[in-house]
Amino acid sequence: MTAMCDVSFLLLTFFILTAKFRPSEAILIDSPTSRAEVKAPDDILTITVDEEGKAYIGFSVPKRRAAVLNTMIERYGSKYPVLNILTEAQKQNFVNLELLGNSVAELPDVLSRDPSEFSNAKLFTGVPKDSADNQLGDWINAARAAAMNESYDLPIAIKGDQVANVMAVKDIIETLREREIFRFHLITSQEGKID
Amino acid sequence: MADLDTSSGGGSGRHQGKVRSKKLSTRVDLTPMVDLAFLLISFFMLTTTMAKPVAMQLAMPQKPKEEKVKEPVKESQVITFILDENNVVWYYEGLAPDEVKKTTFSPDGLRKVILDKQQKVGRVLGDPKKTIALIKMTPDAVYKNLIDILDEMDITQNEIFAIQDLVEPELAAVKEAKGE
Repeated sequence: MTAMCDVSFLLLTFFILTAKFRPSEAILIDSPTSRAEVKAPDDILTITVDEEGKAYIGFSVPKRRAAVLNTMIERYGSKYPVLNILTEAQKQNFVNLELLGNSVAELPDVLSRDPSEFSNAKLFTGVPKDSADNQLGDWINAARAAAMNESYDLPIAIKGDQVANVMAVKDIIETLREREIFRFHLITSQEGKID
Repeated sequence: MADLDTSSGGGSGRHQGKVRSKKLSTRVDLTPMVDLAFLLISFFMLTTTMAKPVAMQLAMPQKPKEEKVKEPVKESQVITFILDENNVVWYYEGLAPDEVKKTTFSPDGLRKVILDKQQKVGRVLGDPKKTIALIKMTPDAVYKNLIDILDEMDITQNEIFAIQDLVEPELAAVKEAKGE
């Protein structure tokens, strides 16, 4: 009995320590169900669409975020000069940001806030994705370029809310197609299981 | 020194020194503890695998840069689905939306429509896999509908499908069918 007890507690400790908590999500997404059983890759760029059709970007690997931000500063620095004077603390805040949901113009203000506010959904207004000002596409390009430096072809997933307008999702699909990304994942929850 | 005298007997003092404490076994019954440990193990094992979301693969065609010669498509191969509000699906066969019919996402609705079409295509062309499904949507449809219809394509093993933009005659036909 002692040996069995030892083994069971060893296993228990192992599972407790390896279990990863799901990061607290500021935006609650109720994804639709499907029969798909393929698991999404771990290192992935997730484009989230909430029920109002607002878009958010999630970079799964924190260490790549700094490079992504720098690319975006180069791209938008001349249009929004405030981006050029981001402090190290603000950049660090960006690295800690799980979900990006603001336009580039709002970024300095958002990043100067305390990280505890990042779980407040009201802070996020969505990343602009219309064809006149397609910042979403630029973020995707920047993220893929950063992953490409590590010779990794970053997969892209769209995670939409059940009741999101289909046109908002279609906008994103069109954005991806314009950037020659023709294969992507649609995140769903498994049928019959409550997520 | 710090021991407490727990012996209840005595009083007279005659038995003092002779009372021995009972020798209790140091072995504890471990069964409930192991039970609990295994319960927790099963909990952590199950939750770690469940939390990961599943993904559906979707491949979109390249945007056509120039008009290429395409493989001719027979009118009888094609069925078009138009997703609309309130989980309604309109569909028509062939190329022109002469009459749109209404169906829903219930198993004897949309799925039956696709399977019927596949049978029909199988009869005419000899291969039910040649069925081409075009998926279009009105601005009132929700994302769930799109996933549902893609799922339905998977269930019926309808391999050729495409997501396309709604065109004006179709919108008019849907409006007419709705009685607007």
